[in-house]
Amino acid sequence: MSAIPEPAQRLAPHARWAWRATWSIGCCVALVAIALARDALPAPWETIALALALVALVVGTPLVPELRWRRWRWEVREHEIDLQRGILVVRRTLIPMARVQHVETERGVIGQALGLSTVEIHTAAGSHEIPLLRDGDAGAIRSRIAELARTDTDEIARTDAGEPARMDAGEPAGTDDG
Amino acid sequence: MGSRLHPAAIAVYAVDALRQGAFPLLVILAVSVFGGEFDAQAALRAAGFALMGTVVAALAGAFRWATTRYSFGGGETVRLRTGALSVKEVEIPFARVQAVDVEQGPIQRLFGVYKVEVQTGGGGQGGEVVLGAVDEREVAHLNELLRRGAPDALEAADSLPAPERRLTARRLALAAATSGQLGVLLPVAAGAAQLGQQLFEDPIEGERTLIGALPEGVLAWVLVAAAVLALAWLLAALGTVVGFGGFAVRRERDELRIRRGLLQRRQATLRVARVRAVRVVESLPRQALGLAALRVEVIGHAKEQADAQTLFPLLRRDEIEPFLRELLPEMADALDGLAPPPKRALRRYVLPPLAATALLGAAAALALSSPWPLLVAPLGAPYGVLGYRAAGWRLRDGRIAIRSRRLACSTVLAPAAGRESHELAQTALQRRARLADVAVAFGKGTIARIRHLDADDARGLWAAIGPR
Repeated sequence: MSAIPEPAQRLAPHARWAWRATWSIGCCVALVAIALARDALPAPWETIALALALVALVVGTPLVPELRWRRWRWEVREHEIDLQRGILVVRRTLIPMARVQHVETERGVIGQALGLSTVEIHTAAGSHEIPLLRDGDAGAIRSRIAELARTDTDEIARTDAGEPARMDAGEPAGTDDG
Repeated sequence: MGSRLHPAAIAVYAVDALRQGAFPLLVILAVSVFGGEFDAQAALRAAGFALMGTVVAALAGAFRWATTRYSFGGGETVRLRTGALSVKEVEIPFARVQAVDVEQGPIQRLFGVYKVEVQTGGGGQGGEVVLGAVDEREVAHLNELLRRGAPDALEAADSLPAPERRLTARRLALAAATSGQLGVLLPVAAGAAQLGQQLFEDPIEGERTLIGALPEGVLAWVLVAAAVLALAWLLAALGTVVGFGGFAVRRERDELRIRRGLLQRRQATLRVARVRAVRVVESLPRQALGLAALRVEVIGHAKEQADAQTLFPLLRRDEIEPFLRELLPEMADALDGLAPPPKRALRRYVLPPLAATALLGAAAALALSSPWPLLVAPLGAPYGVLGYRAAGWRLRDGRIAIRSRRLACSTVLAPAAGRESHELAQTALQRRARLADVAVAFGKGTIARIRHLDADDARGLWAAIGPR
């Protein structure tokens, strides 16, 4: 793809189960909503909407999480974090270590059941995530990024008086004030 | 520890207290006035309450002033201590100070003092330390200490001239005349919505007022529309004059000082090291006249939206590069000579907006059963063509330039090393046409995005921005 080698790491294999769960729950909610609103829709649209939601449930549940999992690749290197993902839109994002403000890990309800956590990487321009890693891996990666970001400052970050890459592992920014 | 604020702070704090207590006071006032018959006695009582409120506020202000101490700790730490019962103490090491905003509100102006907000990178609303009233000498002292603490303050640079640019009255007028923004139409829309709601809630009465208020005939409608647009234009122009009156920007070593405001003078100090990108914004009316506004993306500045985002309100297009070379050479680059996306990308710029406007026009025409909304349908095409014509990119000597257009044409100029992240994106359709998008994020407000580049160019650009 380019001079920079493609990222090689994958997400946890049972990330697929988490996505299957959220996808099918979403489809069921849509089905119920359409069924409840059937009187509000004109004649052909109700059937079309129901059919679409059913197809999404039956075909999408096995297909979409599998494809998404196969496409998701990531890599944490010394100077950058490299993310590549997407089925219809393939995105590849590079985040320089020197720009990482803080890192968090987060676990939702489904993640709790499967022992999966999401790593969130915050920069001054917004946040990026590596979703659904094994709990232990996610913690290790959070610490690794935090450590790398602490030591990696480029010329711009250094002249940034008083902001030597504000870092906490897992805590919101600002707790190291005062 | 430390010293007291200027006594004018009593007035500042009193007004603060009044403002906080204004709502309950108003309620008390309303109850006392409307609760009983309105007579001389009630009016007297109301005046009594108002007087009492003012006295209480003044006492509260005096108490707060008496219990507030601050110090600049000899250039090591900014300290602020307030309160007697519950004491709050803030300490900010000078090295952590990201910005100092000096501002003069109406009260500060009355006493000839300044409000100083000291900000750190943590970035909540407003400054971490707010000094309500300090005199000019203290402001100068603080600026002196900040300069001394700055990591790369070059003493040798002292003798260098500090370039400054001011906005002339003629340019201010021009900026005001071309500042029309759709945002000011919102109050008009809100008024119309309220009228609609009235009609909905009370059809008979509502219809009567509505019909009374409705213009008759096409000419009257056109006149009303013209009046609304003229009013919106006037409001926008007024906003520009008030906000940018007396605009001046000055480069002092590694800082930019920006002063602006007609009624409320504002001064903001920006460290150049925190400026990540410059945006040249050419709105449609300004582009027609060869004019543009200059904005900056600043990292970690809590009030950047309001204060520090405009580097200069209006410049002629050909003045921009020399302006930057003088005041902000770190970002200076040529505006022109960008590479366009390939010809085969044109239809991808045109088709989506055209489909959107066509759908919108058709839906509106069906809903209103009138052919007029169909006039909207073809508008997507010129929008798309303009978007394609504007799009361009360049990466040279580590400097990125990316231009794109929504309604206004926006060119981002920045050193590639200052980005927060960058992204290469390709949809399934783009893959077949060997096209791809590149987006480079410089901050929350500046994401330079160019769509539908040749896939190889896009990959090359993405890789060249590179890990370092």
